[in-house]
Order: sequence, then structure tokens, then C-alpha cells
Amino acid sequence: MASNATLFKLQAVSTKVGRIALATMDNGEDWQKPNTFGEAALRSLEALLDRVEADDCAGLLLTGKPFVFAVGADIDEFGEITPERAREGGQAGHALFGRIRALPFPTLAAINGAALGGGVEIALHCDYRTISADVRHFACPEVLLGLIPGWGGTQLIPRLVGAEQAVRFVVENPLRQNRMLNAPQAFAAGFADALLEPVEFLDESLAVLVRTIEEGGGKREPAADLSDLEEVVRKARSRIDDQVHGAAPAPYRALDLIAGAGSWTIEEGYKAEENALAELLPGPQAQASVYSFYLVERRAKRGIGVPDTAPRRVSKVGVVGAGLMARQLALLFLRRLEVPVVLRDISQEQVDDAIAWVRSELEELVAKSRLAEAKARFLGSLVSGSTDWQVFSGCDLVLEAVFEELELKKAVFAEVEQVVGPETVLATNTSSLSVTALGSGLEHPERLVGMHFFNPVAVLPLVELVRTPETDDESLATAWAVTRKLRKTGVLVRDAPGFVVNRLLGRQGSVVTTALDHGNTVEETDEAVLRLGVPMAPSFLLQFVGPKVANHVRHTLHDAWPDRFPLSPSLESIAEGGDPVIVEHAPRSVEELHEAVLEALADEVRHILEEGVVDDAADVDTCLILGAGYPFWLGGITKRLDQTGVSERVTGRLLSQIGARVTT
Amino acid sequence: MGRELREVVYVDGVRTVFGRAGEDGYFWRTRADDMAVKVVRELLRRNPELPPERIDDVVLAATAQVGDQGLTLGRDVALLAGLPQSVPGFAVDRMCAGALTATTAGAGEIAMGAADVVLVGGVEHMGHHPMGDDVDFNPRFVSERIVDDSAAVMGQTAENLHDAFPSLTREDADAFAVASQQKAARAWDEGVMDELVVRMAVFTDDGWTVTERDQFLRPETNLEGLATLRTPFRTAGRVTAGNSAGLTDGATAALLVSEDAADELALEPRMRLVSFAYAGVQPELMGLGPVPATKRALAQAGLAVGDVGLFELNEPFAVQVLTWCEGMGIAADDPRLNPYGGAIACGHPLAATGVRLMAQLAHGFREQPDVRYGLTALCIGLGMGAAIVWENTQNGG
Repeated sequence: MASNATLFKLQAVSTKVGRIALATMDNGEDWQKPNTFGEAALRSLEALLDRVEADDCAGLLLTGKPFVFAVGADIDEFGEITPERAREGGQAGHALFGRIRALPFPTLAAINGAALGGGVEIALHCDYRTISADVRHFACPEVLLGLIPGWGGTQLIPRLVGAEQAVRFVVENPLRQNRMLNAPQAFAAGFADALLEPVEFLDESLAVLVRTIEEGGGKREPAADLSDLEEVVRKARSRIDDQVHGAAPAPYRALDLIAGAGSWTIEEGYKAEENALAELLPGPQAQASVYSFYLVERRAKRGIGVPDTAPRRVSKVGVVGAGLMARQLALLFLRRLEVPVVLRDISQEQVDDAIAWVRSELEELVAKSRLAEAKARFLGSLVSGSTDWQVFSGCDLVLEAVFEELELKKAVFAEVEQVVGPETVLATNTSSLSVTALGSGLEHPERLVGMHFFNPVAVLPLVELVRTPETDDESLATAWAVTRKLRKTGVLVRDAPGFVVNRLLGRQGSVVTTALDHGNTVEETDEAVLRLGVPMAPSFLLQFVGPKVANHVRHTLHDAWPDRFPLSPSLESIAEGGDPVIVEHAPRSVEELHEAVLEALADEVRHILEEGVVDDAADVDTCLILGAGYPFWLGGITKRLDQTGVSERVTGRLLSQIGARVTT
Repeated sequence: MGRELREVVYVDGVRTVFGRAGEDGYFWRTRADDMAVKVVRELLRRNPELPPERIDDVVLAATAQVGDQGLTLGRDVALLAGLPQSVPGFAVDRMCAGALTATTAGAGEIAMGAADVVLVGGVEHMGHHPMGDDVDFNPRFVSERIVDDSAAVMGQTAENLHDAFPSLTREDADAFAVASQQKAARAWDEGVMDELVVRMAVFTDDGWTVTERDQFLRPETNLEGLATLRTPFRTAGRVTAGNSAGLTDGATAALLVSEDAADELALEPRMRLVSFAYAGVQPELMGLGPVPATKRALAQAGLAVGDVGLFELNEPFAVQVLTWCEGMGIAADDPRLNPYGGAIACGHPLAATGVRLMAQLAHGFREQPDVRYGLTALCIGLGMGAAIVWENTQNGG
């Protein structure tokens, strides 16, 4: 995992204004392994500064290796860190970046590629900045990781771009699915003095620095108007409340630091950042976030458990059904695989309606300039449908997305099997039924896999890939390959009701509906769950999924585990369009409910691991982050449950220690 | 139905710094097509009067048309340089005369009336593409003795020249090499090269740096030092690293326009293309090629060698230039010959070199407005020579 350390390499170039020091950040790897600032990198920067300070340069230009500027601190050094080490890390960065800022000659950061976190901050310590027009990643994602930009970012960003932009950049973008700026956006926001074409970026950046020096432009202090600082921060704080409900300290801390920039000196600001790092970095949210980052960015991409078998070629896809989910899936297959997609439903009207919807979505993409018109026309011509099962003839993959009813789905597959070849992969998007049971009537059950997508399909990246005891390697490898092509993340699970995400959300829901049955209000149950920091209140989630569907899932889970998934009179009533039904008036406090939710989750994760639905708590967490939008700072959920002692209280051990394939 | 040929003029030319081929060279981690992009963009930057959409063709040469030189260079570089999509391009190869051939091909388009403005040039990244690397020599060359074995190794053809001209000694070659180094050093010191060479930021294992001067320059070279060098092509041979051009990475580009287009676009013609010729000779004596090529080009123009006031000859090997001098009756130290030094000092990136010669000639014409005619010439592997005669248009006339 550890790649070469990033080094600061020094060259000099003679120009008409004198010698310019040329500093390159380079870890000697290609662009896929970006520059990071670990301890060795900081030592290298120190050595470079020693040389540059002793030299009679006219200026300094700082840039990165091709396609990468720098992506910030080395996250691998964050785990299990002590407050002292965290503070020292902050101080080391401040001392060195401060020395760049104090160099007696003008400095320019030529941002030639991805600049994240500490990469942005080192650039902010230069007097001037140019940015290459092809840069697509310019951001401070620290808050997403439960941290704050602690190498001067919270202090210099507001001074440079003003309060409004600073709050958006440092606090709000990371919480909006880690939104990043591209070069034109960064330039428009005021982060760079020049937006330059990539083709001769370094030559032109050097020319900018030489011209600046020639024209007498010297050292520079960022001095944005901060008169609206207090007001902007106050408003931001209330928006953050609505989003994280106080569950994560980092965004609030970042706002405090930005607010401080209005009155502190830089040195006071540095000190405040160091205090924040010492508290946050060893803290549970940051540690969980670093874990989550590792799961999503590295582990999930490896395809753990996927057989090393060549996938089959998929050049025609069938979708059974023409409903809401079916048409979203048809659109996704069409866009990403660019192969003929056929739909089948009982009424031609519904089929036609689904096709029209797919084509209108394509047109919408054209209107947003995200798809070329000619391409949209071609893709639109690839989608067709009928009421006749024969349309599936020649399909390499047929995915059913009809109503959640075992017999209906079995009947569908029986029909499909009549018209497709024996190697066609059959996939079901069932959210809770037994895939094994669905395949019981098939002539070739070995080609059946579950591909459970999450609604809204365009937003949530997870696909639970379900293997039954009979699923063969080739079919599974094909489903995995298709999932990758769809740009989704697959997690392999064994066949069990609700798989991972719906089972855990269902267990959480059973605590909620039991509370409603006992007289708690919807507001109270919402608050009990929202305190976790999850993005959706249970009442909202219920409406989003549809109360009927939710109750159907409950029945399925109840049939499997009646004790843990009790049927709820309130849910039955809501599913029929009624109100909650109070069986016995015995409401619990929000605090008690919150604890009950946590304990239920810990208990259910234990069952999931002991049954071998997945072999590692890390898989559970990946599913919750990617399929339910659980925030990074919970570490999925098991990290939080382990950190807070809930796991041990409920199961007698840490969840990370249960399972057949434990990651250490 | 007769039609008139149109006059072709040279407006401007530029090159990268020339780097040593190999891991210690400036351009080891830079792509060849990016080097060509750099010179094309510099040419446009220096000639802002030229609207890029008026470029009718981009003709670029490379000897090794594979890898980073493999994608129909003229078009590949036009797109990468940001020229309008409406501007076409193609690639040519005549080994060392690549850029010269690009020039005459582009000139042909202009003369025919097919184009008004053509960008020409060449690139050779000999570090990425060592000579002959991807070549599959036909075994018939050997079995039927179509060429002598030595014809495939340029250094051996240079040794063959010493054999054929016993009066040309290693000392003569070394003396020519020393002079070339001294003239090149002076040209750099006097700022001549600053006008002909564009600096380029390049990424290296030691970080980004900017190429400032040709990497091969050895102004301190002297006869005593050269005498100690070994002769890698033959035991007791005469050809050394000191009296030949090193293996080089470099790119060049020039702007050719019709005389009418020069008027219309207010581009200053620096020289007019008078005549050109290519000639074939014995492959194992490929260095002799420029003699018949020069003679034919001069004959077409109705000129005698004495009418020519400046000669820009490539210097792959000192002995090669000396054979041309002998053939044309020019002294090796004639001040008209390579006044800014040559490839022995700056290097020879095969298909790129022709435009370097043209740019130096155009500069010489400006410094000497009373000189009317000039010559650019090179020898070519497999036994060929190339020559273009130019007329100075910077004499106020």
C-alpha cells in the first residue's frame, strides 16, 4: 500500500529577471499514485527550503509531477494517532508552509493537476497561483473525513476568497458527496490568478511569474473583505444542523476556525488549527472516516470474493418489467453498455411509456450537454419493448424488476428460460426475496444471480451481488463485470432475506415502528435515528420506498426471523394509507430509542456475520455507505458500534472480530 | 490551359533545444509529439498575423514513425497544438532529409495552388527510437549483395568515406569539429540561437526543468582532446564521437507561404525557394549524396557554386562535409560554410535537422543582406542527398 515518498525536487532556470527556483513535488510514480505529504515529504520540503533560503533567487515556482499537483496529507499515517502526534503534524506543516510564505521573493504555485487538502494549502502559501484548465479535482475534503484543513486552509481560504466561498469550499462541498471544483470553477471562485491552457502550462506559468516580477509585483497578502463573515458563518451553522444534527464535530469546528480568521493573526489561526487537529484526528469520527475512505476508495474496488473467471460477453440486455425501477435500469444499461436493451411488460401501453421515458431522459442529457445529440439518437434507437416474451431471444443478460412476489418472479423466469440460451445470465433485482427460491424452478439455476440496485439508481453506487449455492463462477464474474461497466460498486453477498442493506434498515425500522406502536411520535423516532447522522429520516425513507413495499419487506424478514422483525400494526396501517396505531401507550425517550437503534444494529450485524451473509464487517460498512448513504464518520456502522462499546455490550465482542474473513 | 507556378517563401522557423538521446537527455521523459507541438505553437506565437485557420496543411517528418512519432504526425500534432480541426496534416519520411522533404512537399502544394500556407518540420526522439530499432531489413539486401553490409551503420559509411578519400585524415575531421564547436559557442553567446531556439519545460527524474542550451555543446573542445577519443566503428578508424554528431532528440517547424499570401497576411518573406533536388548514390557511401544533389539544384537554377554566398550543411560526420567541400571546390574553413556551427556541436535529430539549416540560413541572410543565394543540404541513409537553393529576400529588394 505504501508507495514511494513524495520528494520536493529543486531545479533552477535562468530568466531575464534572474534565477527562478523550480520546485517539483514528485513521488516517482505515475499519475495513478498521486503525490501525498507524509513525514518523508515534509523532511524533503525542509531540505529544499534550507537550500532556497540560502540562495539568491528572484522567485520560486512550485508544481507537481505530470497530471498531479498534490492530494494532501498521507492518510495512511492517520490511523491510531495520538493527540500529540496530530498536533505535531499540524505544527510541522505550519512551520514549513509558513517558511514558503516568508520567502523574501515572489512565489507562484502552478497547479498542474489534482490538488486536494494539503495540496491546496501549500499552494495558498504561495503569493500567486496559476491553474491548468484541465484540472478536475480542486478541493479540501477534510470535513468529509471528520477533519479540518489544518495546514492554514481555514485561515487563508477566507482571506483569499471571502466568507461565502470559504464556507462552501471547506464545509459544504465535502458534505455534498465530496463535491470538487474543476479549474474554471476554482478560477472563478478566486483561488487562482490565471487559468491557463494545459498544453504549455508550465512554460506559461513561468512566464506569468517572470512578468509579475518584471512588473514589480512582489509579495502579497490575501485580503478579502470579511465584513460579512459572522453572518455567513451563522447561516451556515444552521444549514449544517439540518444536515448532520450535531452528530459530527468537524463541520462545526471548521466553521469556528473560519469565523476566527476574521480577527486572528495567521499565527493565532495556525495555533487554533493545531488544537482542532489534536482533538479531531485521534477522535472517533476522523478515525472512522479514514476507515470508510479506505473501504470505498481501495477495498471495494478490489472485488473481494469475485471468482477469477473470464466474464461472458454481454451484447444484448433484457429487462423484465416497465415500472419505475425497470426503466431506470434500462436507461443505465443503455448508457453504460451501449447495447440493445429490450423491455417486456404485460401491457404494451406501459412498455411504450417506459421507452418514451428512457428517450426523454436521453434528451434531457443532451439538453444538459452531457450527451451528444447524435449519440442520444443512436442510444434511443437501441431501446425497444413488447408484451411478447420472444423479445428476450438473443439476450446475454436478463434482469427482472417486477413486483416483489416469489411466484410472480418464478413465473417470469420460467417464461424467460423458454426463449433464451442456456448461458444467458438471469438476474433478479429482488430486495428481500430468497434468490435461491427464485431459481428453484429453473432448468439452469446455476446462471441465476441477484443484482440488487438501490433507488435512486443514478445516485447510489451500490449493487449487492447475490450468489446462491448453485450460482456458477462465470455467471457471477459476468454480473461483476457488468456492474463495473455500469460504474457501480458491487459487494458480494450470500443469499439471505434482505441481504445486508435492507436487512439492517429493516431492523432499524422495526425499532422505529415498535416505538410508534407504543405511542412515540414520528418526530421522536425521526430524531432518534437522525442523531446517528444519517441523511434520511425514517419517515422520509418510508415514503420514498413506499409504505406498501416497506411492509412487504417487513413480512419477508418477519417470516425468516419473527423475533427480531415483529409485524407492526402501525406499519400495516400506514401501508393502507392510515395513521400509526398505538397498541400500548409506553413511549420511550429519544435517548432510549437512539440506544435501542444502535443495539439493534449491532445485534443484526452480528447475525449477518455469523450466518456468513458476508465474511467481514468491512463488507457491511461498505454496503451502508454506498447503498444507504451512511456518512463516512460512522465508519459504515460497525466502526461506530465498536468505538462506543455498543458492540461489546450487545454481542460480547467487537464486530470487527466476527466473521470468516476479518480485515486487520 | 497552361498555368503558372506560384512562388514559395519561407517566413520563419524555430526549433527546440537539442538534447542528448538517452536516459540522461533533457527529453527522456518528454514525448516526441509534445516536442513538435511546442515548436508549432511557438511558430504561431511568433507570427500572430497568421490566423491559424489559414494553415492549409501540416507536414511533419520523422524517421521512426512508431510510438510517440507514430500517429500521422502532421495531423496528430495539429490537433494536440490546438489548431482548428479544419487544418489537415500528414507525415513524411526520408530519414535525415525528413524536414527538407516536408519543406519541398509543402512547397509543391503551394506552387500547385493547392495551398497558401503550410507548416513543415520534423521531430526525432532518438532516445525513444534508436536508429533502426523497429526496422526489419530485407534479407535480400545481404543475399543478393544489393548493398554492402556497412551501409546500415552510418558510422561505418563515414569510415568508408575516409577509405575512399585517403587525403581526408582524422586530423582534418577533428579540426573541422573544433571549428564547428567554436562557431556554435559564439552563436549562442551572441544571441543568434535565442532567436532560433525555443525553451521548453520538461519533466525529468529530478523534477521539472527548462531546457536552455543544446546539450551536446562542448566549446572547450580542442585537437589534443579529440585525438585521444576511441574510434567505435572500426579498430584504427578515424570516426569518433568528437568528429560526428551525437544521437539527438529535437523538433523543428517552419512556416512556408505563397508570395501572395505573404502579402495578404503581412508576413515578412525571409527567403524564396529557388530550386531543389534529391539524388541517389552508393548506399555504403551515403555521405556523398549532397554533391550530386547540390549540382542538380544549382543547374536547375542556372547558378554556379560561386554564386552562392551561404552554405548550411548538415554535419553528421566531419568527413562527410569534407567530401562535399572537395566535390564542390569549397575550402573546409570557408566562412560561407556553416557560420553558426553545425550538427557536430548541436546534434542531429535526423528528420528534424532540415528546418534547423533553413532557420540558420535565413538568419545568415539577415546578417548579410548582400548575399543573394544560399544552400541547405544533407546526406541521407541508404545513399541519398538533398539540396535546396534559396534566395535572400531580406535585402530590401
